[in-house]
Amino acid sequence: MTIAAMQGIVKRYGNELALDYVDLSIHEGEIIGLLGPNGAGKTTLIHTLLGMIPFDKGSIQLFGRTEKVFSHENKQKMGLVTQELTVFEDLTAKENLEFFAGVYGLKGEERKKRVEEALAFVGLSSNAGKTPAKFSGGMKRRLNIACALTHHPKFLIMDEPTVGIDPQSRNHILETVEKLREQGTTILYTTHYMEEVQTIASRVVIVDQGQIITEGTVNELIANIQHEEKINIDVSTPGDVPVERLKGLEGVKNVHVDGSTVQIISTVGSGNLDRVLSLVKETSGVVGIQAEKPDLEDVFLTLTGKQLRDGEEE
Amino acid sequence: MRELYTMRFTALRLIRAWVVLLLLFVVPFVLVTLLSIIMGDAEEGGLLLRNEINVMMVLAFQLFGGSVAMNYIHQDFFTERRYRIQSLPMNTTLYGFTTMLIGTLYSIILGALLAGYTVLVWNVDWGNIAWSIFIIALMATLSSIVCLIFTFSVKKFNIAERLSEVYGVGAILIAGLIFPMPDHAVINWVNEYINPIMLAYEAIDAYRNANVGDAWMNAGLLGGLIVITFVIMLLLGRRRMP
Repeated sequence: MTIAAMQGIVKRYGNELALDYVDLSIHEGEIIGLLGPNGAGKTTLIHTLLGMIPFDKGSIQLFGRTEKVFSHENKQKMGLVTQELTVFEDLTAKENLEFFAGVYGLKGEERKKRVEEALAFVGLSSNAGKTPAKFSGGMKRRLNIACALTHHPKFLIMDEPTVGIDPQSRNHILETVEKLREQGTTILYTTHYMEEVQTIASRVVIVDQGQIITEGTVNELIANIQHEEKINIDVSTPGDVPVERLKGLEGVKNVHVDGSTVQIISTVGSGNLDRVLSLVKETSGVVGIQAEKPDLEDVFLTLTGKQLRDGEEE
Repeated sequence: MRELYTMRFTALRLIRAWVVLLLLFVVPFVLVTLLSIIMGDAEEGGLLLRNEINVMMVLAFQLFGGSVAMNYIHQDFFTERRYRIQSLPMNTTLYGFTTMLIGTLYSIILGALLAGYTVLVWNVDWGNIAWSIFIIALMATLSSIVCLIFTFSVKKFNIAERLSEVYGVGAILIAGLIFPMPDHAVINWVNEYINPIMLAYEAIDAYRNANVGDAWMNAGLLGGLIVITFVIMLLLGRRRMP
């Protein structure tokens, strides 16, 4: 069953095209990993899907409805975990959850039970009476997630829920997502951390510059670039690497300099290792060389010509 | 009504915001106490100065009561939290109104407590205390509306905050409470028909002197200002509220 579908969605901010004819279908029980650098259009896509910002073209379908898509009835079935912390700082963790549970229509004993359940689910039961001001960054993030869970949403949208937290808290959050999947919740999970998507997503959608550039399972996406090989060359003077000349070589698809490493993606069997090495040796001094099997990061690099972290400082 | 359910939580948030309590209750409480001690039973033109100063002081702080509603509306509708609020299955406009209502009620309660304190401890003559609380309520409502107009009018919230301070301090200044204002037709007209602190004071003073007609006229002017500013707030709010 299709939970949500976007067809030909266009969203402009002035002359800037934020979403460029986006088509996306999300099916029941899936965890969609929406991957893209900062500024790629992930949050705009989510806000459009939730009806929070108007779009210029296209149509949206939610839970089979094409009219009154953003009705309270549909909102009741959805949950949103915002990118920023949006809990109430003056309310305790328990009160925060009671607020959201109540707004979602839960009453009396049922509300109390769901609040306790959500606190336990994110490991905050022992801190229920504390205000978020006394929480660590990871605990605040977990509370931010719990606020979207009390009403047991069928469709949960998580907008970069692990930004700016320690690895331990990140693991805790990923475990929470796994548990939600086991319960049958459909999840749209946006991130720019490749490893998170590889861990949890049943399907990956890669977004860049407002466009969906590819989608599929992690294995499908990697298989699509199996005809490519990746060579990493460590150099002593990375500033002198002749990037344009390397790109001009036959079979070379992309060249990326990251610190003192030059990453070259080329067609399998192009036999240009010698030529690449000669060129790099001429200018930059080769310190080391290694070949790797492609991963999701390489899929992104091949399709967009840049690494996922490139956009982080935007 | 899910929107009404949220009122309890808005009230809890307010009660725990100690800065608000400090600004709207503790500071005027201390000032009222100090000025009452300093004034003693001093009179001017047959009027007990303590009466006049304390009434003005309580009313003056009502001018700043709107900052409460303003802050909460800003937090819930103009920060990242707006997305969470918008994603909820409730009428967000109604939620905004309940937030404003709680903020205004809180300001009224603090004003009423201060007025009660001046009566019980310093024997200040407010005339009819129920009428005075009604006038305080009108001032608090007007202040909330004016502050929300500022919130909806400018993009940067800190500018809206400064404007709300200008509204409060400006009204006090024009009323001549900081230093005497020149006897100028425009200033006199503003004080007679627009300046909320003067309208409120005149309404209370007229009732105290059994001049009910004047009291209602000044209260009516305050009410008129509320109606006009409320319409402006609605128009601006419809444009700016998510």
